[in-house]
Amino acid sequence: MLHMRQLSRVYRTDTVETTALDAIDLDIHDGEFVAIMGPSGCGKSTLLNLMGMLDSPSSGSYVFNGQEVAGLSEARLAQVRKANIGFIFQSFNLVDELTVRENVELALLYHDAAASERKRRTDEVMDRVGIAHRARHRPSQLSGGQQQRVAVARALVASPKLILADEPTGNLDTNHGEEVMRMLQSLNAQGSTIVMVTHSPAHADYAGRVVNMLDGRILQERRRAA
Amino acid sequence: MWRNVLTVMLRRLAADRAYSVITIGGLALGLAGCLLILGYIRYERSYDAWLPGHERVHQVQTTIHPPGQPDVRSQASSAALYDRLSIFPQVEAVTSVAVGKTVSDQNGRPEFIDATTVDRSFFEVFALPFAQGSAATALPDENSIVLTESEAVRRFGTAQALGKVLTTGAGEGKSGKRVSGVLRDLPRDTSLKVGIISLRDWNTMPPDARGWGAFDQHHYVKLRPGANAAALNAALPAWEKRVVFDTMGGALVSMADVLDFRLVPITQVHLGEAQDKAFAPGGDTRALATFGIVAMLTLGMAVMNFVNMTTARATRRAREVALRKVLGATRRQLILQFFAEGVFVAAAATLLAFALVEIATPWIGGILGADLPLAYLGERGMLWPALLLLAATAVAGALYPAFLLSRFKPARVLRANQSAVGTPGDGRLRAVLVVAQFAIAIGLIASTAVIWSQTRFVAQVDPGYRRDGLVQIDNAWRYTQGAEYEAARRAMLAIPGVTGLGRTGLPLGATEKPLRLMRRAGGGEGESMGLYGVDAEFMRTMGIELLAGRLLGDRVALDRVEGLAPAALSARGVNVVVNRSAAAEFGFRSPAAAVGQPVEIAFEGLDMVPARIVGVVEDTRFRTARDAIEPLVYTYDPTRTYIVMVRYAAARPGEVMAALERVWRRFEPELPFEARFADDVVRELYAADRARTLLFAGFSGLAILIACLGLYSLAAFTAERRTKEIGIRKVVGARVRDIVRLLAWQFAKPVVLANLVAWPVAWWAMRDWLNTFDVAVALTPGPFAVAGLLALAIATVTVAGHALRVARMNPIHALRYE
Repeated sequence: MLHMRQLSRVYRTDTVETTALDAIDLDIHDGEFVAIMGPSGCGKSTLLNLMGMLDSPSSGSYVFNGQEVAGLSEARLAQVRKANIGFIFQSFNLVDELTVRENVELALLYHDAAASERKRRTDEVMDRVGIAHRARHRPSQLSGGQQQRVAVARALVASPKLILADEPTGNLDTNHGEEVMRMLQSLNAQGSTIVMVTHSPAHADYAGRVVNMLDGRILQERRRAA
Repeated sequence: MWRNVLTVMLRRLAADRAYSVITIGGLALGLAGCLLILGYIRYERSYDAWLPGHERVHQVQTTIHPPGQPDVRSQASSAALYDRLSIFPQVEAVTSVAVGKTVSDQNGRPEFIDATTVDRSFFEVFALPFAQGSAATALPDENSIVLTESEAVRRFGTAQALGKVLTTGAGEGKSGKRVSGVLRDLPRDTSLKVGIISLRDWNTMPPDARGWGAFDQHHYVKLRPGANAAALNAALPAWEKRVVFDTMGGALVSMADVLDFRLVPITQVHLGEAQDKAFAPGGDTRALATFGIVAMLTLGMAVMNFVNMTTARATRRAREVALRKVLGATRRQLILQFFAEGVFVAAAATLLAFALVEIATPWIGGILGADLPLAYLGERGMLWPALLLLAATAVAGALYPAFLLSRFKPARVLRANQSAVGTPGDGRLRAVLVVAQFAIAIGLIASTAVIWSQTRFVAQVDPGYRRDGLVQIDNAWRYTQGAEYEAARRAMLAIPGVTGLGRTGLPLGATEKPLRLMRRAGGGEGESMGLYGVDAEFMRTMGIELLAGRLLGDRVALDRVEGLAPAALSARGVNVVVNRSAAAEFGFRSPAAAVGQPVEIAFEGLDMVPARIVGVVEDTRFRTARDAIEPLVYTYDPTRTYIVMVRYAAARPGEVMAALERVWRRFEPELPFEARFADDVVRELYAADRARTLLFAGFSGLAILIACLGLYSLAAFTAERRTKEIGIRKVVGARVRDIVRLLAWQFAKPVVLANLVAWPVAWWAMRDWLNTFDVAVALTPGPFAVAGLLALAIATVTVAGHALRVARMNPIHALRYE
């Protein structure tokens, strides 16, 4: 699905140059569940942002679905992104002013879907993640676990090929964390490709492959025994 | 998608009520102020535009070049023009209009009515709307009148007045006039003055009254369709050289060098430069321009607030922006979204502004004495201007925040897990806008203070006569010139408290300037100065100081002009008293040096009469403080007086006035008693100034309010953003007052800076304004310092509340909060 070759990301300020990613080579295939681990500041989130086209690489090649995306314009990246990628964040990033249903539906608003189609898909995905009974609530009226389920529903509703999850359990207690992980696992079982950044070795164990990073480089990769 | 955008916006506005109220309220105040002033300006600029066919109607105005004096631009024109204008092919009709007063009984009491005398072409030029009768049947003869509906109701108790008879005039001139037409009431925005309209018999007028020097009427022409007034104006100077002549010393002289005529569209008469002899007080383009600027500044401040509040809050919306981008929104879509939000807020503010305008219009119209229109559609409707303002506000106020908001990088925002991140540069812009806002506010306060002190100053400036204990009886020409004056005078002097009585042709607040050519005997071209008739008691009654020589009196025959024709006067000569300025104007070194000196004065036309200065009196200010002190020459000539001045002391003003009226009724039962205290006359002179000062002060207050609204919410926002910083400062030992000082100073800085911008601009504008006065207060640093300190105090109080609340917060809470 995606192939990164010699991919680097360098941040420059007036006085300091920081290499967040240093010539990464990484391939991810359809249907994989990959966990990325490593200490704070090792470049996990930068890698995820590049993968999700929220950021552009300083150098190297990034082929997504057979198309080179490094160097595409912001508008073009937005096109590729909205057609293919769903995001789940540690801090849920729900819009406080919108209800659960409206938050989930938000992802379809930029897809030119008809209102009836949007309603059908929103209902369906809310059912899938078990949040339908809270459809009229605002984010502030939900528990952390419920909020993250809404975020997952929003990530799924546009049927993306790839789901990127940045520490999806970081703000959750153990029980709610497990709940979210089981949900991701089941999505993966249904065919979704998932890349997840996590600090938790236990949660990384849900993934089929674990990539360990340090100082902007990939240190090692290991596959879970089938 | 728009439903979603609307939902987010409405819920956000509802959740953050203080912000919404301040943003929408501030913008509404600015828009309402702007619409009100705009309405007033449009009202003033469209005088007479209601007149059918106004595009073809022009007033003939005169520029008079009096020797040695500035030009006089008059709305009146020579009577001799009447017969001659129709030779121009562009002219379809000419009409001559004169306005005077006549008297009529109203419930047994005499009352003055404005009397408009016209020729037969009047209704051809002015297609005034008839309620009864028609232009064709109106004014068949000199015993007919046309009046307006409200005048008819006043005189007859009904608007159905056709055929009724109104008795007008006094003494021998008393006669019954039949109503031959009733006009609908004219709008207030007209330069015409229509009382009762009657025909003037052109043929019975004496030749003097029909000459080039007779300026008792206004001429209006109606041009043929498609005719060009500019072409006619271009042809006039050459024509004047050929045609405009008068006699001087029996010889024919060209007056083309002294007079210039010009056609001015009737819609430009009200705000035109020529205001001498205007039927109704003209507008003040300068004041209008000032109001226009103030309106724009006020709206500008409201827009700046809007930008500030939106960009300050923008950082709070970073997450939403980032999220929408992640979900596929393009920058264009986001710009459109935020721009739409701005337009929505501006539209809400516009609706609120309409309500404010509806409430304030009658009130402001009352202050300004204008029938301000309150319509949404039509020529003077405010819908289109409001939509234009809305569009301008939206573009100025919403476009930048839209670009700013849509610029957030999702990777940064979401990675940082922040709800609030800044965009580089917008803090600086906010600071610049706050400085601009306060500069405007300080400038307006300082200007208001200067205008206020000048308004007070001119009301108290030494007029050269004693203003207290003085009554002016107007419209007293029959009384002052009548045979019974001596008896009437003694009766008035017998009133307890009355100590003096004098007659004059120069009233307080005089609008007319009877300039005459004068020169030192045998010397030079001479110059124009005011020539006024008074009686022997006038100077003493007014308390005007005699500087040298003596006053005019009955003991010397040469003192009196009365009863002598110009030719006899030329043969005999006359004694005059001049004021200090006139003595200087004649070229005398001192008042004493002028006494006994011969001069020459043109009493009528251009023929010079030999005169001798017998006394010099102090300068007086009979007009406003805007007018320069005039050089005046006084003659002892009761036939040129029409005002009685009464001096009283140690008596109740009301009782003196009542007793004067009783005497008046005894001697002048047919004419109304119209008297005012000198203080009231002077107060009336400055009524328009006071109204404008009030309005100016009102808008300054509005500007300050808007600035403070903005500052209040910016302070709230900053206090909120700096909660963590303040927590850390407190943990390391800062006291509450250190924190308050820190925050207060952050907002005091732009105010201090604003002074540096505001002071020079306000100083320059005020110096310019004060220069329009003959006497003015000194421009001291006082008002500017007061304005600066006031703004600083208001800003500090506005910010201190927030600062104190944040400073008192438990730092643990503050740190956890962030």
